[in-house]
Amino acid sequence: MGKSLVPSRKRGTSGPMQPRKKLKVPWVFILLCLSPWILGFLLFTAYPMIASFYQSFTKFNLIESPKWIGLANYKRMFSDDPDFWIAMRNTIWISVISIPLRIAFATFAAWILTKPKKGMKFYRTLFFLPAMVPTVAASMSFTYIFNPSYGPINNFLQHIGIKNPPFWFLDPVWSKWGLILLGLWGIGDTMIIYLAGLLDVPRSLYEAASLEGANSWQSFRYITLPLITPVIFFSGVTGIIGSFQYFTQAYVAAGQVNDYSHSMYFYATHVYFSAFRAYEMGYASALAWVLLVITLLCTMVILKTQKRWVHYPNGSLFK
Amino acid sequence: MLKKRMIALFAVSALIVSGQAAFMGASHAAPRTVTVWSPFSGDGLAIWDAAIARFEKTHPAINVVSVGSVDMAKSLAAINAGTGPDISVANGAGNVGWFCSTGAWQNLNKNIASKTVGLDVKSIFPASVLSSTISVGNRCALPFAAEVVGMYYNKDMLAKAGFTKPPTTVEELTAYSKKLTTFDSAGNIKTAGFVPWVGYNNPYGFGAQDLGFMFGAHWYSPNGAPAFGTDPLWAKAFNWQKTFITDVFGGGNFTLGKSRLLKFTAGAGDEWGGDSDFMTGKTAMWIVAQWMAGAYCDNTGNWVLNPCNHPYINFGVAPTPVLAAMKSTNYGAGRFSAQPMGISKGSKNPTDAWEVLKFLATDTKLQIDYSNWGTSIPATKAALASKDLVYPAVYKTFFDIVAHPRSGYHPLMPTGEHLDEVELDDLMAGWQAGSVTNLSDALTSAGANVAKIIERQGK
Repeated sequence: MGKSLVPSRKRGTSGPMQPRKKLKVPWVFILLCLSPWILGFLLFTAYPMIASFYQSFTKFNLIESPKWIGLANYKRMFSDDPDFWIAMRNTIWISVISIPLRIAFATFAAWILTKPKKGMKFYRTLFFLPAMVPTVAASMSFTYIFNPSYGPINNFLQHIGIKNPPFWFLDPVWSKWGLILLGLWGIGDTMIIYLAGLLDVPRSLYEAASLEGANSWQSFRYITLPLITPVIFFSGVTGIIGSFQYFTQAYVAAGQVNDYSHSMYFYATHVYFSAFRAYEMGYASALAWVLLVITLLCTMVILKTQKRWVHYPNGSLFK
Repeated sequence: MLKKRMIALFAVSALIVSGQAAFMGASHAAPRTVTVWSPFSGDGLAIWDAAIARFEKTHPAINVVSVGSVDMAKSLAAINAGTGPDISVANGAGNVGWFCSTGAWQNLNKNIASKTVGLDVKSIFPASVLSSTISVGNRCALPFAAEVVGMYYNKDMLAKAGFTKPPTTVEELTAYSKKLTTFDSAGNIKTAGFVPWVGYNNPYGFGAQDLGFMFGAHWYSPNGAPAFGTDPLWAKAFNWQKTFITDVFGGGNFTLGKSRLLKFTAGAGDEWGGDSDFMTGKTAMWIVAQWMAGAYCDNTGNWVLNPCNHPYINFGVAPTPVLAAMKSTNYGAGRFSAQPMGISKGSKNPTDAWEVLKFLATDTKLQIDYSNWGTSIPATKAALASKDLVYPAVYKTFFDIVAHPRSGYHPLMPTGEHLDEVELDDLMAGWQAGSVTNLSDALTSAGANVAKIIERQGK
């Protein structure tokens, strides 16, 4: 019998595990291995962040040297820039409406996908497919599909008796709803996480609940929902970060329909326009830093409240 | 010993002097390089490069490196990094105000005024062309090919409605449109006479620039302040637009007209394809630049302007209609901008770059060859008067527009990427949508916003 590769611990023994032997690796070697990341971080993350922080206190138009103006960019943002408030309003709207809707829809879609007994893989692929469509192509397609003149959606709505269907992306009242629908259509990536969460719920809990006489709603409310709160928490945090950076879909759709009403003008669009249309790099940097602070605050609020509503399998719920 | 030292000193001195002389001689003999970045490509770039070759022949000491397919965004990034070209060519005039004010392009006033290497710009270029190369007294660009805007009209549609010539005034334009606009049984617009709607046929369609031009409205007062709130012609222009929508498309009801137009414009065909609304006969008249004539002249879809023997439709080109009260002075003029070229900030060889720039802007053969190849209008008086220019009869209107003393671009101010135009287009969109109700306040506010932009971005 050959020598065991596991040096100290025998199977079935209950004694404490012996500590592994520490590898003696020279620091230089470790740093050398880490150097691609360190260099990348310093050049492409740390330096741009420091530079943009400095530039946020300057007037900088790309051509002339930055000129120190103190807090003027920040002051202007809150007191003298109507577009800032339009962008902020639109961004808050999309966050407040889209995040809960995405969570609910992803949960629902994932729940449906736990049901079929046959063709599970096919249905999962089908639901996930829209998430693989490039964002720009999807956004352009949606403006076509929802076109009030020749789009199939309005043709269908008129066919079923709705005489004056909405003008969707062309109507400031409906344009953001068009974007919400676009987001829900491409929910596949979030749905997969929810599906994993749902499949992770032990079946024994449902069986016990069933024996106790719980109906479907009660099983969902008291078993499924608490056990998928870590997934909800995760998608809430990433949703907030994503919604404050919401850009591509809105930029493409707004360009397609000439959104002069600014109903699809979001915070990230404002940063982009300030930087590359007004060439006000200093102001755009200030906008970017405010965006970071807002995102950070929102994330911190969710993190702080998670103790109250997020149940981890090894946490309070099972103690 | 002393003798030996003297000999050594002499030898070293001789070596230094001869070396210096050799170096100086070499620097004179080596060609000086000027780099030119342009957005041109394909055959257009070949014509451009042929002109550069002609320049090099007459200026053997200057080596010109031409790089095509470079847009201004790339040029600006390079200028910012200190690695920009000596000369760059922009696609449009919208940013000239910003290029001049920031110094991205050098002020050429001294070069132009120079007694030895200067340029008599007023005798070489029409006034209309020069208007898009200057901002607040700083001429930082010279013009190349030009873009002229005129009104295209469908001759058959007009004839069917009983019109033998295009409208010349905005009042006639309204009357024509009433007759040319038809609706289907559901009340949707079937054919439109003219569509004064920002967002239609964009990005090169009708906008506040055209509306202002039709009414002779001033963008800025003589002191440089935005005139949107102070020049009553702006309010007159916007009110005309609203009345037009109400009467022509809504039968007296603005909300109905707006709603119909929104649906009509949403269903517009592709401006660049064979199904644009003008080509399919859905719209009888529209205002757009000269280069679209290539599309209308060639039913094979290859945009061949000359000789325009197989046009998509039976069309004509007329100057933009103007207010009847201004017809005697303003009709025949048009919105016009030249393709600007400038010497970059940080140019390593600005003296030679000026020579190259002067040549590119004034070489008659280049202007003619480029115009005959594509659909652009030459920017010099000599080229405009040349018999070597070849263009179809329908194109003549654009040449007449360039020659008109009232043609030109609105004053260019340091407003980023033509943010003054964006401001007015936004207002126009709000006005046509009905969300802007107090026009006077909105115009004043737009003026104040543009003033702020100028203040922030100007010196």
